[in-house]
Amino acid sequence: MVSHNKRLVAALAAVAAMGMGLAGCGSDTANTGDSSSDGGKVTITYMHRLPDSEGMTLVNDIVAKWNKEHPDIQVKATKFDGKASEMIKKLETDVKSGEAPDLAQVGYAELPEVFTKGLLQDVTQYAEQYKNDFASGPYSLVQVNGKAYGLPQDTGPLVYFYNKAEFEKLGITEVPQSQSEFIEAAKKAAAAGKYIMSYQPDEAGNMISGLAGASGGWYKVKGDSWVVNTETDGSKAVADFYQQLLDAKAATTNPRWDPSFDASIKDGQLIGTVAAAWEAPLFMTSSGGTGSGEWQVAQLGDWFDNAGKTGPDGGSAVAVLKNSKHPKEAMEFLDWFNTQVPDLVSQGLVPAATTEDAKTPSEWSTFFGGQDIMKEFKTANNNMGDFTYMPGFSAVAAKMNETAAKATDGSGKVADIFSDAQTTSVDTLKNLGLSVSE
Amino acid sequence: MSTVEAIDKESRAAARARKKADKIRDKHANDLPRSMQPSALVKTITIVVLVFALIYFLFPIYWAIIASTKTPSQMTGSNGLWFAVGLSDLPAAIAKNYGTLIGWTRGQFWRWVLNSLIYSGVSALVGTLVAVMAGYATAKFNFKGKNLAIGVIMGCMLMPAALLTIPQYSIFHAMHLTNTMLSIIIPCCVSPFGFFLGRVYAQTSVPNELLEAARIDGASEARIFFTIVLRILAPAMVTIFLFLFVATWNNFLLPLMMVSSDTLKPVTLGLYGMVSLATFTDRGALMMGALLGVLPVIVLFLGLQRYWQAGLAAGAVKG
Amino acid sequence: MTATTKTAKTGVARRAANPKASDAAKRENRTGWAFMAPFGILFALVFILPIIWAIYSSFFRQVTTGGGAYGGGELVNKFVGFQNFQYVVTSGAFWAGVGRVVLYTVVQVPVMIIAALALAMLIDSYIVKHITAFRLSYFLPYAIPGVVASIIWVYLYNGQISPIVKGLAAIGIKVNFFGDNVVLGSMANITTWTFTGYNMLIFLAALQAIPHDLYEAARIDGANGFQIAMKIKLPNVRAAALLAMLLSIVGTIQLFNEPQVMSISDPSISKSYTPMMMALNTSQGTLTPGGDGPASAVAIVMALIAGVLAVVYTLVERKVNAE
Repeated sequence: MVSHNKRLVAALAAVAAMGMGLAGCGSDTANTGDSSSDGGKVTITYMHRLPDSEGMTLVNDIVAKWNKEHPDIQVKATKFDGKASEMIKKLETDVKSGEAPDLAQVGYAELPEVFTKGLLQDVTQYAEQYKNDFASGPYSLVQVNGKAYGLPQDTGPLVYFYNKAEFEKLGITEVPQSQSEFIEAAKKAAAAGKYIMSYQPDEAGNMISGLAGASGGWYKVKGDSWVVNTETDGSKAVADFYQQLLDAKAATTNPRWDPSFDASIKDGQLIGTVAAAWEAPLFMTSSGGTGSGEWQVAQLGDWFDNAGKTGPDGGSAVAVLKNSKHPKEAMEFLDWFNTQVPDLVSQGLVPAATTEDAKTPSEWSTFFGGQDIMKEFKTANNNMGDFTYMPGFSAVAAKMNETAAKATDGSGKVADIFSDAQTTSVDTLKNLGLSVSE
Repeated sequence: MSTVEAIDKESRAAARARKKADKIRDKHANDLPRSMQPSALVKTITIVVLVFALIYFLFPIYWAIIASTKTPSQMTGSNGLWFAVGLSDLPAAIAKNYGTLIGWTRGQFWRWVLNSLIYSGVSALVGTLVAVMAGYATAKFNFKGKNLAIGVIMGCMLMPAALLTIPQYSIFHAMHLTNTMLSIIIPCCVSPFGFFLGRVYAQTSVPNELLEAARIDGASEARIFFTIVLRILAPAMVTIFLFLFVATWNNFLLPLMMVSSDTLKPVTLGLYGMVSLATFTDRGALMMGALLGVLPVIVLFLGLQRYWQAGLAAGAVKG
Repeated sequence: MTATTKTAKTGVARRAANPKASDAAKRENRTGWAFMAPFGILFALVFILPIIWAIYSSFFRQVTTGGGAYGGGELVNKFVGFQNFQYVVTSGAFWAGVGRVVLYTVVQVPVMIIAALALAMLIDSYIVKHITAFRLSYFLPYAIPGVVASIIWVYLYNGQISPIVKGLAAIGIKVNFFGDNVVLGSMANITTWTFTGYNMLIFLAALQAIPHDLYEAARIDGANGFQIAMKIKLPNVRAAALLAMLLSIVGTIQLFNEPQVMSISDPSISKSYTPMMMALNTSQGTLTPGGDGPASAVAIVMALIAGVLAVVYTLVERKVNAE
């Protein structure tokens, strides 16, 4: 009896020991989340989801430069291999367990949400001195209630990409400037099997909100409560614009991240579309060289009742998380990191920093007919409408995408996107326990 | 110990006999008795069905192999059934995508494959052992709370395991285990389904008389389990092992939450990382990653074929 | 299922009547738990505690405090009673998701099981030689991670890229794998592709375990191959079929990868397409109300529904058995 129990225990002990050994394997890299100071030396952890791919200046290499020059503030960067919504969830759990990184990448659209979830630390006192290093629009998007929670990294102003040579072949000599001119040109192009606009249901939450936002915001704060109006004149103009194009079958309807979108550029079908600035390098790879040297970047026309303004689509800040014990040092590093303009450009970003002019990489200008497209992006950046996001916007964006898809097969209308955005926005705010004045 | 030896001998003899029978059957497949001889029509239909199924199962993999040599634009712009470049340029195309893959995985690709092998291997090994032990316990012993335990475990089969990741994170954090290999291995080695299989196998293939005989011989319970029962169940355990191995290999939600160090990631998470970045368009490189990542599993399965096929046969639940 | 419902009668239990019984029972109790312990401890850690947490949290919602348009920068747990459950059972999206899963279970699962059984029977019939290659090829998709399998198929469904769609179009058949009524079928095909081979192996194993003398006897009686298949083989793989069914149904409840990946190409696949997707997206806040409370409620209600269905299934199964 005794002997058999002993053996069983021994067997279990063996299993446990094996487990310990494995725990040991990981422990050298464990607790990356803890920022620690050790005799004046501070360790800052930074979680990002930048592409960090072949041919780019890797985040770890940029960080290594900093670490070499700053022996007292050592930075450790980790990449999160998942979606933005998953990263927020991870940060949420990390913050609760006190194991969160000091710095984390957060999209502008999600920043208010992340604030509301209690993940951010007020760093206004440190941010002030870095204010002039960044464009004012993006800088204000890292603020909630007038307090700063980090620094902007990149921006995504909406612009218009088009193939100039193809336009000329169709007899369209200039990018149409008014809505009616544009729709007429689109119909003309469609008759020839070409499309000068794409309707991207999976980007509705980001892009269509940005286009509507060019002429004015959806979310305003009055006193302590929210005034939500997603069905603004701008929204109506956007709905009208796309509905006409869809009805006339004069726009492609491939989702942006479906391979069919790439195919439409590659086979020369899609010769013009609204796009976020950071899409430039993606267009180049998708095209496989189709139309290289013929593409151009232009500012948006007055197609959406936007009076020459544009809106935001994407772009991220890096925020200081709640548990960080060294916000001052974290901000010092962050200002340095977010102003490493050429390195950030290599990651395919349009930096928010104004400390130096981002140079258009030579492959980009080759593709875009020798144009200095970074300059165009900068112009767009400075011309951005005042659009702020509400906490919980990711739920609104998700709903918008779903509704947008229904308009592609005629089972819904483009205008439904905005009415659904309205109800979802109000529901989301109420579910978060925030007050909404209707 | 006469019992153990007897079993051993018996099972070996049985295996030999089975093999022999199979061989004979294979050899004589064509000279069966007249009534058993399939007509030419039956034979043709069978072959057509089997080949059709073969195409169905292999075509997507064939497509993925072709796709793994393509650039993003070739992916959409070239014939899906064949390479986009001439055969002589193929090595260069493969090298390019391999370079892209290594770039996207920050040089960690093979490390991640190794991690996956560790996670899947250890989880499946430990998981199979504990599942069989528990299955054996509930099949052959009466203990207090047994029926409750069985009910609870079976009930948990219905709970979406992925959703338990968040509380698991909190628990593992309290034990200071997050961002370690154990934080992936421990959750992955518990499978209610594994327990269920272990229990069924123990019920159907471990004779009570044998246990009694061994007890009369004076063997301890631990000894009976580790020398007799495990031996009988060993082939059947392969089914559980296989199930746990693949389930761990495919799991990316758990590692997504549990580990943040690059050196601890499993390969499926790395691939998911590419997919989840909307701006990722190098799908050829992704296909290459998927295929290369699966390669060790396939090699393992092929290498162990003899064992797991015999195992599946032995582990079959008798009706 | 019959096997699990029988309680094992052990030798020790049979001695229960004699005076040494209490001693023996105690010993058996101890030994039973000793063998149970390793799994039990891990199980408590990985399942029981998290489930208790999930049940607990399903009575709470995370809301802001401190007023202001953005709240005070902190979420607090607010006890809401059964409000989360009320939300789930009154949510049209949830029931639509349950409906899809049920449809999947009654269509995809049987189709896959029958296909797997048919393939196993053909392979076991020894009509064709060199079956190893077939067996392995059928099994291969199981080794491909679900996310990757879904990505591969999304390509093969895509109208502008897929050689399949193009090939069919060339011979005059137009298909849209993302059509309103087709998309669930396209999804089911991915699952079928991945798991048929695995199920086939389960059947094959069961078939090979049938004693060969049964065949001999049938042959002497003059039965042909088809009759042997129907009269001997089929009844003998019943348990294996139940096992495969059970496994597939459990998998279906957790249907997630396929719709998630397919939504890249078809954004009309909502965040709550299946209960599992709804639970995860609720947890991540891409659905409202978001957070762990409502997400847990979704998971618990789904598990309860699955539990009820499992009980009904078992009862029906028992009744059919009895007849």
